[in-house]
Amino acid sequence: MMEPTTATVPAPNLPPRALPPAPGYLTSALRVMDLSIGEMLWSRRTVFMMLIVGAPVIISLILRGLVSLGAPVLTGPNNMRMTGPAIFGMMIWFFYLRFIVPILGVFYGTSLIADEVEEKTITYLFTRPIPRGAVLIGKYLAYLVSTIFVVLPSVMLIYLLLVPMQGSLGGSFLDLVKDLVLLALGLSVYGAVFAFIGAKFKRPLLIGLVFIFGWEQVALVIPGYLKYATVAFYVQALVPHAMPNDGAMSLLQNIFRETPSLFTALLGLAVIWAVFLALATRVVERREYVLEQ
Amino acid sequence: MTKKTRYFMAGSAAVLGVGLCTGLVAFYAGGFEAVSAAPVANELRYVPANSTVIAYADVRSIMDSELRTQLKAAIPMHEQGQEEFRAQTGIDIERDIDYIVAAGSTGIANAPLAGGLVVARGRFNDTQLETLAREHGGQVEDYKGKRLIHSPANEGGHQMTLAFLEAGLVAIGTKETVQGAIDAQLTSHSITSNAEIMGIVSEVASNNNAWAVGRFDAIAAQANLSPEIASRMPPVKWFSAAGHVNGGVSGTLRAEATDDESAELLRRQVSGVLALGEMVAKSDPTAGALIKSLQMSGTGKTVAVSFAIPAEVLALMTKMAAAHQEEIK
Repeated sequence: MMEPTTATVPAPNLPPRALPPAPGYLTSALRVMDLSIGEMLWSRRTVFMMLIVGAPVIISLILRGLVSLGAPVLTGPNNMRMTGPAIFGMMIWFFYLRFIVPILGVFYGTSLIADEVEEKTITYLFTRPIPRGAVLIGKYLAYLVSTIFVVLPSVMLIYLLLVPMQGSLGGSFLDLVKDLVLLALGLSVYGAVFAFIGAKFKRPLLIGLVFIFGWEQVALVIPGYLKYATVAFYVQALVPHAMPNDGAMSLLQNIFRETPSLFTALLGLAVIWAVFLALATRVVERREYVLEQ
Repeated sequence: MTKKTRYFMAGSAAVLGVGLCTGLVAFYAGGFEAVSAAPVANELRYVPANSTVIAYADVRSIMDSELRTQLKAAIPMHEQGQEEFRAQTGIDIERDIDYIVAAGSTGIANAPLAGGLVVARGRFNDTQLETLAREHGGQVEDYKGKRLIHSPANEGGHQMTLAFLEAGLVAIGTKETVQGAIDAQLTSHSITSNAEIMGIVSEVASNNNAWAVGRFDAIAAQANLSPEIASRMPPVKWFSAAGHVNGGVSGTLRAEATDDESAELLRRQVSGVLALGEMVAKSDPTAGALIKSLQMSGTGKTVAVSFAIPAEVLALMTKMAAAHQEEIK
């Protein structure tokens, strides 16, 4: 018995399948962010971040342990007594505002585009049907999420460890909230500044380090308007703790310290953030990155 | 986003969330006034909300001050009271205590602090203190998780109670006042929830190593003043006294009247007293220097008198006191 044969019906002349529309600016940025968070969090750079963010937590743990064992670590010279909230405030100044926030901004901000150029992978991103600017914004958002999710929990741990030593968690709660907001603001503004430097210049890390440890430090102690051209000036105005006198530089800063109002500080930070992020996006959209062979 | 990244972010968010919730609960339970700068914030949680007087003294800095060294050298002090306290409680005021917070509820009948309470921060050997108390016939009791030691009643039937509140923190008072302090902390019904008094405390606590804040009307009511005097006194609601002791002594006495008019009347009265003092002190250089250091200030409902007694004037006064003692001998 013969099997009935089926005749092949020729396909009708269909128009070619239309390409899905390219994602919008925000969707593209969010997709780049999703892709980049993992890369940023599990990179070698994060080991460095964990080390510098972990140091204050370890110091707090040691301090708390010593105090629990009855060591007189809270009594300073001339019988000056320290309290947990005061030490917490000093840690925010010394470790976070003067070091961790700017240094993370430099290391991560300058590498947003520079790393892709160095690894010659920027072509893969730029050949996607997404705006070039969205690549930078996505990476910037990934930087913010990564750093905020590492830095803020460490501040929280320090607060829980130190503040109960002759202090009250409730009494320092408002200061903690201000600190968290302030650090998030600092990370976002420094990130925007260094994202621009990373996108525009050839040796962004060097320029970034000179900016935070050279320019900002000098500008803050010179009387006049130079300090308005720093990020630290506006960030430091928002700190709820007293500035510690820990050296000649701090002494000079205290002498010439000019504290802008809350509105001026917030406006200054907002302007720096918007201008530098816009400039960074513009540079990425217009610049032809030549990959070295 | 990989699973590993998600777990990391969830862990970070959990730490942040737990910390913020803890802080928020502590914030609402401990009152709205941010007293993070005051070293006594923790101790004030043991002071019941209806206390009418709170005082603080940085015992360590006062004991180590130049003024005390001078006084000790010039005038031999009778340390019988200290010795008696040490024998009863095992606490050496000079060495063991860093600072104290005292509170009372003068004028309020049946208040938990009617007998006064002292909360002391320092270095205390709990075991040694308990053994000493037992040796002297003291009784040990647990109250809501805190160890209380009751001294035997004296001839007048009065008993002293010492409680170990936290590591390095003890409360001393009558049984009722100490229990009231523990209840205040446990129920979060402490003085820290009184925004008005905490506002004054945060003002006086900075730069002073001894201060006191109190409800003047409650104390005046307890003082049994004659109706004639009481009717002439301007209505003052709060008073505070704060001082810094080192080589010299500087301080401020402040009163807050119920209205601007009463404050103006009080200012006039204080000015009059100061003028009279200046006139009287013309012949006495020591008293003259003392009177000249008094300065009145204040606007609105506030009247303040500040003073600063330099180390030199104090040295002169201690010399005079020492000479007077020699004469008596």
